[in-house]
Amino acid sequence: MDFEISKELRKEIDETREWGERQVRPAGLEADRNGAPLPVDHLYFRRYLEHGGGRTRWHGAGGKSSSGSSDGVVKSVILGEETSYWDRGMTIANPGVGLPEGIVLASSTEEQKQRFLGPFLEPDRPRWASFALTEPSGGSDTANFKTRARRDGKHWVLSGAKCFIGNASRADWILVQANADPDKGRAGQRAFFVEQGTPGLGGFKIEKKMGLKAYESTSFTLEECRIPENNLLGEGDRASEKPEQSDKNVKGYKSTMGTLNASRPGVAASAIGIARAALDESISFARANDLMKQIRVRDRLELFQRKLRAAWLMVLKSAWLADEGKPNIVEASMGKVYAAEIAQDIATLAMELLGVVGARGDHLIEKLYRDVKALNIVEGTGQIQRVIMGRQLVGLPR
Amino acid sequence: MIDFSLNEDLELIVDTIRSFSNERILPKIRVFESERRVDDDVCKEFAMASFDRLELPESLGGSGLGMLARVLVNEEMGAVDPGAALALDRLGPAFYVLDAFGGLKALSQFARPILETEGKRAVLVLESDSTFDVEHGRVSGAVPWIPSSRADLVVILSDTGARVVEHGSSLQPLRGSGLRAAGASSLRLEHAPVIAQWQDARKAAQALAKARLYAASLLLGVLRHSSEFSRNYAMNREAFGRPIAHHQGLAFLIVDMYTAVESVRLLVHDAALKIDRGEDGTQESAAAFVEAVEASRFIGPNGVQILGGHGFMQDYPVEKAMRESRALGLWMGGIDRARDDASKFLE
Repeated sequence: MDFEISKELRKEIDETREWGERQVRPAGLEADRNGAPLPVDHLYFRRYLEHGGGRTRWHGAGGKSSSGSSDGVVKSVILGEETSYWDRGMTIANPGVGLPEGIVLASSTEEQKQRFLGPFLEPDRPRWASFALTEPSGGSDTANFKTRARRDGKHWVLSGAKCFIGNASRADWILVQANADPDKGRAGQRAFFVEQGTPGLGGFKIEKKMGLKAYESTSFTLEECRIPENNLLGEGDRASEKPEQSDKNVKGYKSTMGTLNASRPGVAASAIGIARAALDESISFARANDLMKQIRVRDRLELFQRKLRAAWLMVLKSAWLADEGKPNIVEASMGKVYAAEIAQDIATLAMELLGVVGARGDHLIEKLYRDVKALNIVEGTGQIQRVIMGRQLVGLPR
Repeated sequence: MIDFSLNEDLELIVDTIRSFSNERILPKIRVFESERRVDDDVCKEFAMASFDRLELPESLGGSGLGMLARVLVNEEMGAVDPGAALALDRLGPAFYVLDAFGGLKALSQFARPILETEGKRAVLVLESDSTFDVEHGRVSGAVPWIPSSRADLVVILSDTGARVVEHGSSLQPLRGSGLRAAGASSLRLEHAPVIAQWQDARKAAQALAKARLYAASLLLGVLRHSSEFSRNYAMNREAFGRPIAHHQGLAFLIVDMYTAVESVRLLVHDAALKIDRGEDGTQESAAAFVEAVEASRFIGPNGVQILGGHGFMQDYPVEKAMRESRALGLWMGGIDRARDDASKFLE
């Protein structure tokens, strides 16, 4: 048993910190002040590319292909926490394949990797991809999604609407979740690459959010949106087969859900990054305003520090289990709900520490208070996480 | 390097103490509680397996294990009967004070005689929990409660140092709120001669850190037991046509109790690892204790709540867990002092 971070990883954390302080925090604050995501041609995105970001983990045709981060979940969680400390919204706004990358690496054909990940090998400009799951009617009950995919000759025709989708209007392509066989419920779910500019893909609306303003959250519609049959994730080579005849069909859905399970430690880590920023800002404020001797102030800060450490260890454990190839359903959900709720508590109590200064709306803690709420909603609300845990711990029926 | 697994040695220790606790203590917890003592044959077996000298250096005949081993053992024993755990571990947290201040010499002089004589016990009391006065090398005063029926060696820990007293103490038996298997007494010292004393605030803090972790890990076991027992009960007890655990109100409560136990466990392990690395774990140990006590306020009463009327009756162990978790939370200086130390990072 060892909870220490290696020297090598510490060095990478230091580099992330330096970039975060110099570039990420100012960019996030700028977006927050403007109340809108940074525009596509913002200098930050160019710098991010020059810094080495925005590239795919895929190594190109014939190169080594991995279904996850080659460095492991623990490392990605640790570095993700550090980046979120500087600005969580910017971590989503960053160019790159982003959320769908794990699914595409795990489930796509070689031809699809070449076509959709290829441009991200050495991008000529900041490029984005997007993953569209949530719909206006709900996010967690994926079996009940309304977006449909209909087979028409050598094409698929998609119809429906998506909302709260990161970077969709600026993405080269969107991996859209749609049901190709509604009678089968969740088993009918498939993922489709929908390229920007495809007729029928439109109605983009940049949503106005309470926090995390740096990234673009978008709703859009699919109206008889016709895409080639080989845009079905993982089915390009077997497009002539009917969905129910292919073993890969169920795999496609499961891989999507599996990716969400694996990404929960990352979301939890980002909540912790925000909360750690709130703690540091609280300590600075208390010192600057001579509050440190007040026992109520000290008690609050002690609570922040303690809960944050427990949450962090919980998240690291769920990530470590993932790296070890061990089941982590309970731990991933536990870390997600605990971290997100603790982070919200910390930001809320930190606002109390500020007093009326917090009500001015121009303190970083006030921004963190707005930002952090999303983390107990995205990728399964705190209530959904408890349902998942309940199924495992007491056999809560579906 | 992040690693949440236990090595083979520690796994073996956990398996052994779990078997011992389940086979030798569990069947008689209510007997030990009512008799305020643990059977002699159980004590002998515990000592035969060297569990009463877990952290004593090998040169003194002990197992020479560290804090992580201690908290793992305590979790297992606390999950069965924390009172019995205290009765069986006859040095208890007094060991940490003797070790911190006096090293091998003090352990040889004071700890070994305790272990070598059947039934003898050392007790650790904090000056902050007592009304002690020291005059001309003698201590007088009282401690309202100690979880013991004997005090063959009294180790008094203050913020700045420690004293050892062997004679001049008297015990008045109490009913005790929890931990009754350990015994319960009030302790009085009347001009008790101090046979050793040391001054060193840093060592006092380190000894207290370990003592708090000792208490927090017993508490962790109690909380785990209450949480798991009530979870299993809720899966079998039916109301309105289904297990009560399948009503979302209870399912969510059970999930939150499970999470609270895990948060305590992680902080206890975190502090133990830090101490075993030779670092100052004062703040982490205090934080682990605070977390354990806060969790006990939530888990203790809710363990009873899930069982409803049955939980209130002594036919089930959750009421015992509620009482014992409260008693453990008051021990070793209590939560307020621990919170002060847990906030030392602000200085």
